[in-house]
Amino acid sequence: MDRLRRNPTFQAWALLAAPVIFLIVFFMLPLLIVFVYSFLERGEYGGVQWVFNLGNIQRVFDPLYFRTFLRSLYIAIVTTLITLALGYPLAYFIADSPPKRKGVLIFVLMIPFWTNFLIRTYAWLTLLRTHTGLINVTLMSWGVISKPLPLFGNDFAIILGLVYGWLPVMVLPIYAALDRLDHSLLEAARDLYASGFHTFWRVTWPLSLPGVVAGSMLVFIPSLGAFVTPAILGGGKSLMIGNIISNQFLGAHDWPFGSALSMLMMIAMLIATLIYFRWTTKTEAAS
Amino acid sequence: MTETYAVELQDVVKQFGDVVAVNHVSLQIRDGEFFSLLGPSGCGKTTTLRMIAGFEMPTGGAIYIHGERQGYRPPNKRPINTVFQNYALFPHMTVAENIAFGMEMQRTPKDEVKRRVAEALAMVRLSNMANRKPKQLSGGQQQRIALARALVNRPKVLLLDEPLGALDLKLRKAMQIELKALQEEVGITFIYVTHDQEEALTMSDRIAVMNNGIVHQVDVPDRIYEHPADRFVADFIGETNFIPVKVVSLSPQIIVELASGEKIPAGWAEEGIAVGENAILSIRPEKMTLLEEKEVDGPPPADIARVRGAVRHLVYVGTDTRHTVALQDGTEIVVRLQNSYIDEEPWEIDESTIVEWNAAHARVLKE
Repeated sequence: MDRLRRNPTFQAWALLAAPVIFLIVFFMLPLLIVFVYSFLERGEYGGVQWVFNLGNIQRVFDPLYFRTFLRSLYIAIVTTLITLALGYPLAYFIADSPPKRKGVLIFVLMIPFWTNFLIRTYAWLTLLRTHTGLINVTLMSWGVISKPLPLFGNDFAIILGLVYGWLPVMVLPIYAALDRLDHSLLEAARDLYASGFHTFWRVTWPLSLPGVVAGSMLVFIPSLGAFVTPAILGGGKSLMIGNIISNQFLGAHDWPFGSALSMLMMIAMLIATLIYFRWTTKTEAAS
Repeated sequence: MTETYAVELQDVVKQFGDVVAVNHVSLQIRDGEFFSLLGPSGCGKTTTLRMIAGFEMPTGGAIYIHGERQGYRPPNKRPINTVFQNYALFPHMTVAENIAFGMEMQRTPKDEVKRRVAEALAMVRLSNMANRKPKQLSGGQQQRIALARALVNRPKVLLLDEPLGALDLKLRKAMQIELKALQEEVGITFIYVTHDQEEALTMSDRIAVMNNGIVHQVDVPDRIYEHPADRFVADFIGETNFIPVKVVSLSPQIIVELASGEKIPAGWAEEGIAVGENAILSIRPEKMTLLEEKEVDGPPPADIARVRGAVRHLVYVGTDTRHTVALQDGTEIVVRLQNSYIDEEPWEIDESTIVEWNAAHARVLKE
């Protein structure tokens, strides 16, 4: 027993036991259940019947659902690109600030997270709503517009809500990458006749790519699976794959089909993650 | 017409907020010269270099490169390249890409870039490393790539900011010789920043000794050592003895008086020192010798200084022995005597002695 206790392998496993068991019970097992359920038949009042069935997998590719999936993919990509376009300059600005101000700016960036995401999304509702939203009401009362702008219940509203929600998550890893950047590399580029633009394009940008990729993943994955934002800002008209999945479990009581849709989404995320790892290992080997 | 220098600084000042980093510095660096800026950390030498490179803009004064006033010209528009202290090689590029960078930015034709990269790699003897990433190279190799990356652009002036600082002693010595040989080969003006006096003395054609943003002396290495202009230079370069004295006369001969009343001649007095003032006498330990009472016969010749003292301490350091001698006024000085005589009897502790030196080696400096 004493010898066993001193064994380093045993020690490692003893330390790892808790997280490993936790992950197996609450992550691997549910994942497996979802996988298995997607090949079963729906039960009458939710749940499943243990009958092997490929119908759910086929139905996933039914244009009705697959189009929503593609649209979700599109929304997630656009959201990621917009957060990147907004987040990169912001991260650059913070990383370029004097050390004392950096902490304050990061702190300010995180403040929105203090409020529940649901409440913040509802707040957008009061701003964007077509007839009673603050923006349209104000603009109309000023006479800037004569009829309400289509700010709500469409992809625009969803993307706006997602960009707002995930922007800090994009900024943080980019900031971390830029903050680590050795300033003398930028001076070396300038010294070697590079203009400000070329210094950015040839040195700053490639060296911040790991942060860009990490930030993009952190925004893309939750955006693809979003359901709170489209549920509220989509106005029940503009839906994403996340809403259909939640509806299969909570409304339609079709657990197997919900599971099949979840699997499709997870595969999409897995592909994105694999691309991410390819990128980072490539850039890591480079640096 | 006045001579055109490779780099000329006219009354350059650099302030960071309230701090004056460089205080009215004027330097003339000749074409093809190996010029060192030497001083302790924080003396303004790196700031001076950064202003020449264009990374910092002077608060006052003017910088000329080959007669052309630089003004607010950015670094990429100056005919100058820099070797950085930590090399600053681009980690995401190969060695060849690093070296090609400057030429690419200047839109040099591709085949010429290729040829010159190969030449530069051959020059630093790292041709087989072209496709490696900087991380895969040793410190000394990275150093040489940084050098190749700068020199491949054929700059008019090469700036080097403590380029050997990160290397271990042995490699450092080897690189010093290599650098100096390379400089002579390419004939480019080198401006070299270092806090290592030995490095500066061995490599430079001329040295500017700096402290607190001021240039104390600009001279060739042996004059910096043998004829320090002031107390700071005498103290910073090599080892020296400082003896408090009072100036008795300045002409026809410089005579100073020790606190013990002994009057001795000196070879040189710093400008601005007046008769009757307190000063310090600076003399290097190896310029002095110790005599026994019985060896001394009558007053010394006019150019020889002799003072009485007692041996307090001996430290054997191989080639020579350091003798700590207390003078009559209590000042302790160090005398280095070569261990060249086999049968010479060593000095004993507390033995009284006479310290003798040639007045030409002794310099009267301001306190």
